[in-house]
Formats: sequence, C-alpha cells, structure tokens
Amino acid sequence: MKNVKGNILIILLILAAIISAGCTAPSDEVSDKIVVPNSIKIGLVAPLSGGASSTGNDMKQAAILAVEEINANGGVFVKKYDAKIPLELVEGDTQTSPTEGVTAVERLISRDNVVVLVGGFSSGVTLANQVPAVGKVPYVITGASSSQVTRRTDINTSYFYHYCSTTDDYSQPILQFFVDELKPLVAADRDLKLALIYRDDAYGKGVIESSIAYIEDNDLPIELVAQEKYPGAETDFHAYLTKIADAKPDAVYTVGFVQDTASIYIQGQRDVGLNTVYMAVECNEDPAFYDLLGEWGDGQLLESKFAPYAPEYTEMMKPYKDAYLAKWGVMPGMMGADTYDGIYLVASAIERAGTLDRSDVNNAIKQTNEPEKLILMEGGNIAFDEYNEISPRIFIEQMFWNNETEELIPVLVLPEDLKSQDFVLPDKYEIGG
Amino acid sequence: MAEITTLIQIFIWGLTAGCIYVLMAVGLNMIFGVMKVVNFAHGEIMMLGAFTSFWVYNYTGINPYFIMFISMIVVGIFGVIIERYGFRKVLGTGKLNEIFLSLGLIYIIQNLSVKLWTDDIRKINSPFSSMTLDLGMLNITYDRLIAIGFTALILISLYLFLTKTDVGRALRATSQNHEAAMLMGVNVNHMYMLSFGIGSALAAAAGTIAAILTPFNPYMGTISGIMAFTVIIIGGLGSIPGAIIAGLMLGLVQNFTIFYFGGAWKDAVAFVLLIIVLIIKPTGLFGEEH
Repeated sequence: MKNVKGNILIILLILAAIISAGCTAPSDEVSDKIVVPNSIKIGLVAPLSGGASSTGNDMKQAAILAVEEINANGGVFVKKYDAKIPLELVEGDTQTSPTEGVTAVERLISRDNVVVLVGGFSSGVTLANQVPAVGKVPYVITGASSSQVTRRTDINTSYFYHYCSTTDDYSQPILQFFVDELKPLVAADRDLKLALIYRDDAYGKGVIESSIAYIEDNDLPIELVAQEKYPGAETDFHAYLTKIADAKPDAVYTVGFVQDTASIYIQGQRDVGLNTVYMAVECNEDPAFYDLLGEWGDGQLLESKFAPYAPEYTEMMKPYKDAYLAKWGVMPGMMGADTYDGIYLVASAIERAGTLDRSDVNNAIKQTNEPEKLILMEGGNIAFDEYNEISPRIFIEQMFWNNETEELIPVLVLPEDLKSQDFVLPDKYEIGG
Repeated sequence: MAEITTLIQIFIWGLTAGCIYVLMAVGLNMIFGVMKVVNFAHGEIMMLGAFTSFWVYNYTGINPYFIMFISMIVVGIFGVIIERYGFRKVLGTGKLNEIFLSLGLIYIIQNLSVKLWTDDIRKINSPFSSMTLDLGMLNITYDRLIAIGFTALILISLYLFLTKTDVGRALRATSQNHEAAMLMGVNVNHMYMLSFGIGSALAAAAGTIAAILTPFNPYMGTISGIMAFTVIIIGGLGSIPGAIIAGLMLGLVQNFTIFYFGGAWKDAVAFVLLIIVLIIKPTGLFGEEH
C-alpha cells in the first residue's frame, strides 16, 4: 500500500512537471536570450546534373542572383527575432530523376532543415519529389507544368504552390493563336489542318490531352491531321516528319524540350521540305534553343511567358538581364526567371510571417498578393487561386533571322497590348507544307 | 498507300540511320572478333568521337567531314590506350571482369565528359547543311548523301585493309584462332590493340556523322550503344558482313515502322527483329556455329 502511494506520488509529480512545462510560454517569446539564426535556409530543388542540367543551372544561377540581391540589403527581416537574417541557398540536385529527386528533397528537409523549398523541374520528377514535403515544408514549384502538382488528390497539396504556367495555361492561347492569326491567312474558308508531334511522356501527353480537350470543348475550327509521339531520347525525326508532311498540315505544333524541338524545326524544313509554321512550347525559351535553330528558326513561333531576347516589355527585364549576364556571362532562360521570382516570393512571405515556422510561412505564401515581377500576371499581381496556382500572362513570339548579326531574334506577336508587330507567314511557307 | 516518293524518302532516312548503326556495329564486331571482349562502353567512345570533332571544328573551322578522320585517329589512339591499360589487364580473368570494366567505363567517360564539357547541347554546322540534290519529286540533302558515301568509303577501306595487307590478314588470323596466329609469328597483343583502335575509330566516325546530322550531348551514345549490340546479335557475333546487313536492315525497319505504326514501336521493333532472327537462326544471320 505504501508502495502504491509512493508510485502515485511520483506519477503526480511527473504530471505536474509536464503540465507546468506546458503552461510556460515558449521560451523564445519571453526569454532574454533569443538566438537569432545565422541564416534562413531555402532549399533549391533543381536538376543540376542529368539530361535537364542546363535548365537546372539556369534555375540555380537565377536563385543565387536573387539571394545575393536580398542579402545585399541585409537579408529578410523576421519579426520574431527583430533582426534581418540573410538567406542561404541549399542545393538539392534531382539529377533529372524521380528517385534521386525524392532523396534530394528528403535530405533538404531532414538534414538541412530548410524553411521552404523552391524549384522543381519536369512534371514527372516533381510529382515524385513533392511527396516527402507533404504537409511539412512549403514548396514553391517553378518548373513543372502539369497541373497535377497542385491538383492531385492522392496527397495533401496544401503546402504546394504552382509558380509557373500549367499545360492548360499555354495550350489554350496557342490554339487560339492558330485560329485567330494563322487561319485567316492560310485557311480562311476551311478548318485549319494542324499536326501534333510530342514527347511520349507525362509532359507531352498532358499538353496534347489539354489541347485536344480545348479544341473539342470550344468547337474550334481545327482539324487534327496527324498526331505523332516520339520517345524522349529521339534525335532522328525524319520518318515522323515525312508522315506529317504526307498529311499536308497548315501548321505543326510541337511539344518537346530544347534538343528535340530544335531538331524537329530543322529536320522538318531542311531535310523533309515541310515548309510550314512550327510552334514550340515555353520550356524552349532557352539560349540553347536559339543557338541550335539558327537560321532555321526564321519566321517560326515560340510560346513563352518570359522573353529575354525580345524587345523589353517590362521594367524589370533590363536590370535582371544585365545582372544575370554580368554575373554568369550568359543570357537568362525562362525557368530561371520563375525561380528568381520564387525566391523573392518566399522571402516576402517569410517577412510577412514574422517567423521561420514552416506552417506560418506556408500561410503567408498562400496569402501572397503583391506586384508581379519578371513573370507578368493577369491583373498585374501575384496571387494564388484555390488550386494554389498563379495566372501568368502568355506570349507568342515570332523569331526572325538577322543576316547581318547572324542572330535569331524574337518579337512578341501576342498579346495585343505587348506585341511589337503582327504575325506574318514565314518566307518559305507553303500551304500544306 | 503512301506515294512512291514518300517511300523513297523513308528508305533514305532508314539508310542514313543504318549507316550509323553499321559503323558502330562493325567497330564492336572488330573488337569482339579479335579479342572476344564485349565493350559496353562503345556508345561512349562514339560520343568522344563526336566531341573530338566538335572541338576541332570549333577551334579550326575546318570542314567537319575532314575533321572526321582526325577524330578517328585521336579516338583510335584512345581505344588503344583503353585496351592496353584496361582490357588487357583483365583479359582471361573471367567474363565478369571484362563486363564490369566496360560498364565502369560508361560511367567514367560519361561523367568526365559532363564535368569537362558540361551537358549542354552542341551541334556541328556542316557547310552543306542548306544544300539539297533536286531529283524532281524528291530532294535529298547533301549531308545524307555524304554520310552514306563516307560510310561506304570507310567500309571499303576496311575490307581492303583486312584482305589485302599483311597486318589485316594477321588480324583475321587472330580472329579465327589465337594460338595458330601466335604460332605463325603474329604478335597477338598488337592485334588486340589494333582491333580496339580500329573499332574505336569506327565509333568516332559514327559519332561525327551523328553530330553533323543532329544536335548532341554527352548522353548521345547510350541508345546508339544499345542498338549496336542489337545489330551485332542480329548479324552474328564477330561477323562484319552480318553487322553491315543487320545495321542497314535495322535502320530501314525502324524508319518504316515509325511511318506505318508510330514512334512508340521504333525501339520495340528492333527487339522483335532480334527475337525472330534468334528463333530462326540462334547464332544470328551470319554467325558461325561453334
């Protein structure tokens, strides 16, 4: 009996200790000894090696630039510490692989203890590497266009933000461009004959499915005369393009990455003689695309939301381009611009949150409503909708070869308020290729 | 039914693709025939050939088809070094050692290339890139014709070397029977180096042609390497005529498959062809029974 009383006493003492500890306010709030962190760790998720490393390096270089600019002003003010704290970029290399991407994100979260993640390129890779972050770390995704990254239902997506255009965002203006601008010139009295050629992966299929749905739902006057899919590692497109040429399209809509898209443009015109209008999607807004195309890009099209080669259309473009060029010696690409904005976005969210608590930072990102930066937004402000997606403005660029400077220069031909000139048919254009 | 000009076009695309397969597979078979070693890093040797041509072209601006021969010499010497200080050391110590050495070389060469040259996409500008041969209903680019012509030239040179020179005959003798060749005074170790050098030089020629026709990066050799293996199994291990026939056949079959059935079947059809050949003739089209 004495023992029982003794045990009860011990349990009560322990409970009292626990309760009193729980009643104590967080020590940081009241203690005189608040330890200010040396840095705010931001995890950069990017393909720094592997097939997409050139894009990954663009993301990394842009992120470094943003972090240095912010740190040049002392860093981010965090109310809890009443101090400005510098940002520290911690790299997580996905190696352009879903499995390696998961490992990289797990390491950033558990070993490096990052406050927030920024980046993520390639839908297939990002759909895998976002899983370790579910409900733990806010993740501003700046380079995966599948809408599934924020709309999937198998995981809680409340910590994920889509800071880039989705496949729906850009397939719609592309198709509308064909109908409004190209059709009157080449197929005024009939449906426009369109050929599709795309990567046989989640990305390519996603864009094509979205495009076909848009054509059907809106009853667009477009006849799909060819649909060719190719393996991701393909380099020889002659047979595909010969088949497309046989269908006599008025335009070819390509969904691929830099190497394959440039090869399609070149092999189609140079080897197959398919002299038509080619349209590429925005992930080709990369210096390598212009270099590879050269004169074969003359008169051809590119959908984009960031156009560093075109005449400057926003005030932020020149300082960014100059700073990027000065620091890295090369022109910036589009994925880097998304990531640059992404770093500023999370810095602003941390400041508004006033703490480094991931949940508070997540809430602050969700409530973002601030002026657009490099990526222009519908309405002019960055804000996330019910799906945690932004509403970027989409451009169509037409490229022209300058014989004197031997450069391929794009101009905006859409949207109306930003365009430098109207779309014109390429010099070599032949109806039906 | 497709028009005849379309079919001729597909035939030419298939022939050009086949030329690259042929050069790769003949090189692989040269090495296997003499050393009985399978070099899984053959695709990476091809990539080194492309990069060698690219850098020489970049610094000199010389016609890339001429540079191809420089690249063949440089990469051929690299092949000799690999044989001398790599494969020679493990030769006869077990097939697994040879296999793992060549698998290791894939990663070493690929990663070193990325480290040295990054994995940016490159291209070699041919001076003939805008020129086409007008055949009325059909235009053929000069680059395609040159690729086919150079492949033929290289193969004829190889044939003359193997049949009309003492060294070539010694190579063939080593390929047929090492011991007998040694007894006849042939330095078998030199033949090993020579076969590896020639095999690598042929891969360099394939790499240069591929680099002139399409953009490339350090990962370009992976698929080509796999296809070269498919070709030598279809044609018969160690058989050079087999590699030529099977390489052209694979290029043609793949291109007609894309045209009639779509790109999803391109790689599958290579293995369908392989299985059919192996069922009918397990040693490959020109393989010898042992």
